[in-house]
Amino acid sequence: MPHQSSYKQDKMADPARIKPENSPEKISTAIPKDEEHPTSIHKQEHFQDTAKSAEEIKDPPTEQPQESGAASAEDEDEGTSGQPPSKRLKAEPVSASVSGSAPASSDPASAPVPGSVPGTVPGQAPGSDKKKEKRHKVDEDEIQKMQVLVSSFSEEQLNRYEMYRRSAFPKAAIKRLIQSITGSSVSQNVVIAMSGIAKVFAGEIVEEALDVCEKWGDTPPLQPKHMREALILIVASFSDNLGSA
Amino acid sequence: MAEEEEEPGFEEEPEETHGGMESVHGRRKRLFSKELRCMMYGFGDDQNPYTESVDILEDLVIEFVTEMTHKAMSTGRQGRVQVEDIVFLIRKDPRKFARVKDLLTMNEELKRARKAFDEANYGS
Repeated sequence: MPHQSSYKQDKMADPARIKPENSPEKISTAIPKDEEHPTSIHKQEHFQDTAKSAEEIKDPPTEQPQESGAASAEDEDEGTSGQPPSKRLKAEPVSASVSGSAPASSDPASAPVPGSVPGTVPGQAPGSDKKKEKRHKVDEDEIQKMQVLVSSFSEEQLNRYEMYRRSAFPKAAIKRLIQSITGSSVSQNVVIAMSGIAKVFAGEIVEEALDVCEKWGDTPPLQPKHMREALILIVASFSDNLGSA
Repeated sequence: MAEEEEEPGFEEEPEETHGGMESVHGRRKRLFSKELRCMMYGFGDDQNPYTESVDILEDLVIEFVTEMTHKAMSTGRQGRVQVEDIVFLIRKDPRKFARVKDLLTMNEELKRARKAFDEANYGS
């Protein structure tokens, strides 16, 4: 993935430097449906910050990062974090990213990103600004930490991270599956939610299976026995929680 | 939630009926093979995960979605699956709950953004 303009994007994407009104800087807001562009993870990260949908665009997004779609950074993790309140109110986010070809994944859903913070909605009452500011701060810190982290990834880590963000269940298949069960049509939001949850679920299984694999002294390609054990552990812990519910 | 389905046999390349006792449970065609492989790699597995593991995971995911759908149908407005029902069912699981909230929020924002953008374009 081309990183070339990542530095330039850094500057543009840096939330601290973004001028709220005038600059049609950053554009790509992350599309929840995960249209991430394969190209540069760095860029995506940066875009996430600003893209959080608060960039006002005066002009059409000429700034779209090369991939015409503009990497819609996985916004999910940040929610609308990283935007100072003023920006938020001006939000005319560009729905940027049309992801390019996602390797082997149709429309990427949203990758569960650790520490995702629920985004705030622009245009809220001024009374809640203080809280929002605080949340912004937290978000901004988090975003910057993520940036630092991602920028220090090795090639293999970058690949894996990209897969992590970009992979998703195909919306059409999920929709078909749900509709075959309900017998009636479901709204798009349901499909979005279900895909996202399914991905989190898959992630939980895989992570648990990796723990099991390590505990049993085996090596990576996960084997069915690991998966089954992981499932048992997860279900067991789930019913434990139920007891206390 | 996802009850464990004690896979009776072994997870080979599961063909249609696994000894006939399996319900239609994802034994038909593999819906998510490619995506799941990418996902497993992303979550930490090997770059080429075993096919059997991918199959197991697919079955689990399908079962999960099925369960969730059934439960949502019996929650709130019966016979329909609505987002509020899903959120309600998930409320105890912090990761999933946060994820759904994020997704829906982002979706709203994007819709708003697209709309605003379109209007801006239209005006100019």
